[in-house]
Amino acid sequence: MIRLAAILICLAAPGVFAGSAESFAAANRDFESGDHAKAAAAYEKILATEGPRASVYYNLGNSYQKLGQYGPAILAYERARLITPRDPDLKANLALARKAAAAFEEPRIHPRLDAALLFLSRNEWSWLVAGASLVFGGSILAGCVFRPSSRNVRRAWIAAAAVALFAVITGSTALHLRRDEARRGVILTDSADVRLSPFASAESLGTPGPGRTVYLRERQGDFHYIEVPSSNLKGWLSSRDVAPVMPDDPASAGIPAANNPSPSGTGG
Amino acid sequence: MVNLRCFQPPTRLLAGVILWCLLGLAPALSAAEVEAMLDRESVPAGNGAMLTLRISGGRAQPPQMPVVENLIFQQGGQSQEMRIVNGITSVSVAYSYVVGSHIPGDYQIPPIKVKVDGEEIQTQPLRLKVLDSAAGQPPAGMPGTDAGDETDGGERRFGFLTVEFADNNRTHAYVGEIAPVRIRAWIPADSRANLRSGIQPEAKGFTLHNVSDRPQQTEEMRDGKRYLVVTWFGGISATRAGKYPASLSVDATVAVRDTNALKPPARRRGGFFDQMFEDMNVPMIQKDVTLKSEDQEIEVRPLPKEGRPAGFTGAVGDFKFDGVEIPAAWTTGEPQQVRARLSGSGNFALMKAPELTPPDAWKSYPGIDEFTAGDNASFSGAKVFQFSAVPRKSGSRETSLQFSYFDPAAGEYRTIVSPAHGITVTGDDLAEDQIPEEPAPVTPPKKEGGLVAQRQEISDRASLVPLVSRPAFIPLLGAGGSLALLGLMIAGVRHRLADPQRLALAAVEKAVEESLANAGQCAAAGNVAGFFAAARLAIQHRLGRMWNQPALAITLAEVQGRMPHESPVARFFIEADRHAYSPTSGAGIAPEWKSLLNEAMTSLKPSDP
Repeated sequence: MIRLAAILICLAAPGVFAGSAESFAAANRDFESGDHAKAAAAYEKILATEGPRASVYYNLGNSYQKLGQYGPAILAYERARLITPRDPDLKANLALARKAAAAFEEPRIHPRLDAALLFLSRNEWSWLVAGASLVFGGSILAGCVFRPSSRNVRRAWIAAAAVALFAVITGSTALHLRRDEARRGVILTDSADVRLSPFASAESLGTPGPGRTVYLRERQGDFHYIEVPSSNLKGWLSSRDVAPVMPDDPASAGIPAANNPSPSGTGG
Repeated sequence: MVNLRCFQPPTRLLAGVILWCLLGLAPALSAAEVEAMLDRESVPAGNGAMLTLRISGGRAQPPQMPVVENLIFQQGGQSQEMRIVNGITSVSVAYSYVVGSHIPGDYQIPPIKVKVDGEEIQTQPLRLKVLDSAAGQPPAGMPGTDAGDETDGGERRFGFLTVEFADNNRTHAYVGEIAPVRIRAWIPADSRANLRSGIQPEAKGFTLHNVSDRPQQTEEMRDGKRYLVVTWFGGISATRAGKYPASLSVDATVAVRDTNALKPPARRRGGFFDQMFEDMNVPMIQKDVTLKSEDQEIEVRPLPKEGRPAGFTGAVGDFKFDGVEIPAAWTTGEPQQVRARLSGSGNFALMKAPELTPPDAWKSYPGIDEFTAGDNASFSGAKVFQFSAVPRKSGSRETSLQFSYFDPAAGEYRTIVSPAHGITVTGDDLAEDQIPEEPAPVTPPKKEGGLVAQRQEISDRASLVPLVSRPAFIPLLGAGGSLALLGLMIAGVRHRLADPQRLALAAVEKAVEESLANAGQCAAAGNVAGFFAAARLAIQHRLGRMWNQPALAITLAEVQGRMPHESPVARFFIEADRHAYSPTSGAGIAPEWKSLLNEAMTSLKPSDP
């Protein structure tokens, strides 16, 4: 039975991939023809059916940027950055969107440290830690079992264990320093009002503006408690106005429909 | 033996004498000094400055203050300070005075003469500016007046923020503009302040960015009061028109004079200078405050519709052409590169490429652009555009580039035109449908209106959730740790197995077992001599390990020398010797011998190394 299922999956996979590639090409044609709204909808559909893909997020971000919807554009770029953190094109377009939306990243206190920390994505840091942990454990086990008699082999074994241990410590430190990133969110709409309490009628404390990165804290009903970095602005924001960069539900790859301002016009 | 106590009193006495000499002579070794200083250069009329006269290096008579017309000195107090640095003692006396006047003007305090150890020393002259306070009484709520403090009652007396456009002629910003602003924190000059944060925008309607990292510090007068002013520069931009409160803030710790703390009401109704001098010696109160700019508004106006040029694409600022490259020879329908450099100040993010004139004779395509900032805040700079264009009409003519923008300072649209270039276009005039759709790409990578182009290949599926947030992460880490632990356990076991003490013990026990087995066989065969010989050998092996000497070298004499005579080991050795030297035959092995052997072996039970 399991074999049968595996065979079916193997047979179906190329067809699924070909279908998504075709949809992707069609969305690209929509984009190139200037119908950015249609392209955005097509990219969203691919994400909803096929799951997260860096290139789809990237193109989706471009589509939203063309439509002047900088919040969803920045969210799409940020999600793409989770997968491809060193993509220079992605960085350039994200910077353009941030500049256009005047939603700049919080100033870096230690630029060099931040550059080192951000060189790898959190996923890559995690794999580094996990892999180095296995290498460290494996090298300790191998050394103890085989007990190399050659001095050179013994040195190489000690060096491998030391490098692996260093990687574990460095990666764990990086993950610890970037632990807040799991709670990052992006403001989607122009009229996102931060309110004093989690009610639509509560007093507005301010409007962070679309594309602004915020930290999502607790949630009550349809409201998130948010903190705006480099600002005193803290309060409750409607879930329709903000979306987490890393979705709570891994299956929800697309930008939630309720949060997504309906694409209108073809944009510039 | 020497009694040290005998020498202690003279040692102490000597040390005391040395210390007395040092303390007594040290002031004489250092030259006498007199220093006078004012804690500020100017004061409003009716207020006073603190004058401190510090005398060091000798005994001084109380100083006599000079007489200056309209200037009043009132003694505040006296303090003494003794310091010992590197064994040298210095004593200084500080006299404090409150100096002020009710008449504005520039006053010079002449040198103050002080007699120190009989010698007359004088200070340097000082200057004090008394400002006209009547001309600028602070309004209610502003820091500095009791009335204001009491009526306001809030934190504004600790300071406040103001936000102004950097261009003094500006009263408003425009949508899309990054308007330079000057943000100033006003802190009373007679207070002490420590800023604990940078400027923090509350983000109500506008965005503040590119705020300077290093603010400037000056002293300025405002409404008759002197303030320490900390100035930042930044830019504001808004995407919607309207009036927005300039809700900026900065956290600070400010210590101000608590003018209300020690003044009884009766005293406050006293003479003018009574109040003035009382004000000078009141305590400071310190508070963590947030300086705000709540009572100000920033007006953001929409771009006017009137006079908007047809080619206006949203640029707001002040720009000019710095260089234009237009090929001289063209053929209708064939694209060529046009390059232009525009510099100035404004929102460069909204700038789009200039257009060729006359517009109906050209078809232009999106190209690439590159911005170079002219300052840290990116308010000024230059942008280079490079794009393809196709001429529609043939002939020789002059052409140029034109660019329209909105000048926020003038409040009107402007169109600038580059110097004219003479060009020749050959070929036939093209109709609209004859224009090629896609010109040759400019330079890789292709850009779409500033964007790096779309991805053409779909990438593999990936997860947005990093491994660290997935359940598999901990088991993976655990597997690595388990492998390391397993390796360490194996190493431990191997180390234990290879332990020489353990190996020696095992060898001894093996020999003991063999000897006991041999003794058992002899007992079964009724060989008394063999039983005792084998059993004694087993005991000797145990004793040999315990005493760390060869087993066969252990004799009854040694056993009796190291163990009690009644011990089972000694008793067994005696019995064994008896049977060795006077053997008995046919009697068999008595049960008590076996019991004695067991008792002896039990008493020598080995312990783990």
